[in-house]
Amino acid sequence: MIGTTSALIAAAALMLLLIAWVRADKALRDLPLGSEGWLSGPEEGAELEACPPEFVSQIFSNCDVAYVERMNSPELERRFHHERNGVALLWVRETAAAVDRIVRSHAEASRRSRDIEFITEASIFFQYVQLRAACAFMFVGIGLAGAQKVRAVAFYADSLNQRIGQVAREFDAGLRAQEMKGAGPS
Amino acid sequence: MSAEVKLMPLQQAYDDLVYRSLSRVPCELGRLIYLASTREYNTGHYYHEGLADRFGPDAAQKALEIAHRQAFYKVSAYSLEDLVEELEQYLTSTKEEPQECLRAWQKLEPYRITVPADVNATVARLFTSNLRLALAILRFRQRPSRQHPQAASPQQ
Repeated sequence: MIGTTSALIAAAALMLLLIAWVRADKALRDLPLGSEGWLSGPEEGAELEACPPEFVSQIFSNCDVAYVERMNSPELERRFHHERNGVALLWVRETAAAVDRIVRSHAEASRRSRDIEFITEASIFFQYVQLRAACAFMFVGIGLAGAQKVRAVAFYADSLNQRIGQVAREFDAGLRAQEMKGAGPS
Repeated sequence: MSAEVKLMPLQQAYDDLVYRSLSRVPCELGRLIYLASTREYNTGHYYHEGLADRFGPDAAQKALEIAHRQAFYKVSAYSLEDLVEELEQYLTSTKEEPQECLRAWQKLEPYRITVPADVNATVARLFTSNLRLALAILRFRQRPSRQHPQAASPQQ
């Protein structure tokens, strides 16, 4: 009996997760004027400009929701949530892609380095796992409850992303200095 | 953009652009549209005859590019409420029939071409999304049957 109940709960949870995922994916693809190819970002290999933190607070802010609610129009509210969730999902996807890129290039740099610190590497990896989990949570959460409900997780993810980027940049700078010293006159 | 653009002419070109041209435009959205209009559609290069004559084409292009990005990020950072006010101000300043302008903007979405090249994709999406919402809010406000929420008396 307990087994059947657990299986039913698990199936319901899985179904809910699937619905949220499909909704989030649809909101991300559902761009009002068809193709927005230029929004897919710069070409392969080009330097990507990160989303400034003040825009992250704006995307997940409650002020715009309150303003739209004052209009007393369910149609405007529905439209607002549709638009804002689309932007939030794009940010989640961009953040996940950015941290993947940082960690990949850091792994390449680590292979060239002669003195790798275990604690630094473990810390980067741990933060990377946390950030990817936060992105997955937000992707589902935005689909289920909307962008404003995952506000705290978004701020946490943004600060993690900046921290990982900072550590990786410092590591790269150290490695470059090491390589220049090695290439200098002996 | 050539690396030969010296800092001094660039700064002078930028200041000249801000004080001589942009200060005459009544709102930030208007400035953004003006700056985007100095960009050639086919090449993406910026061109302003007066500025290029005075400071050279490279400095003029760089100054226009910087001012365009600044105006874009400034408008993108507006709250929805501020953007609605800004849009209203811009539409009034065009001297066209506001209703007709609103309809054309909703249909053609001309503001899409005001996005500078290589800006962050999320900010670009936030900008177009907020403008769509601002247009919808302005259209909603102009509906004759609608009772303004501020004018409505409390139902208690």
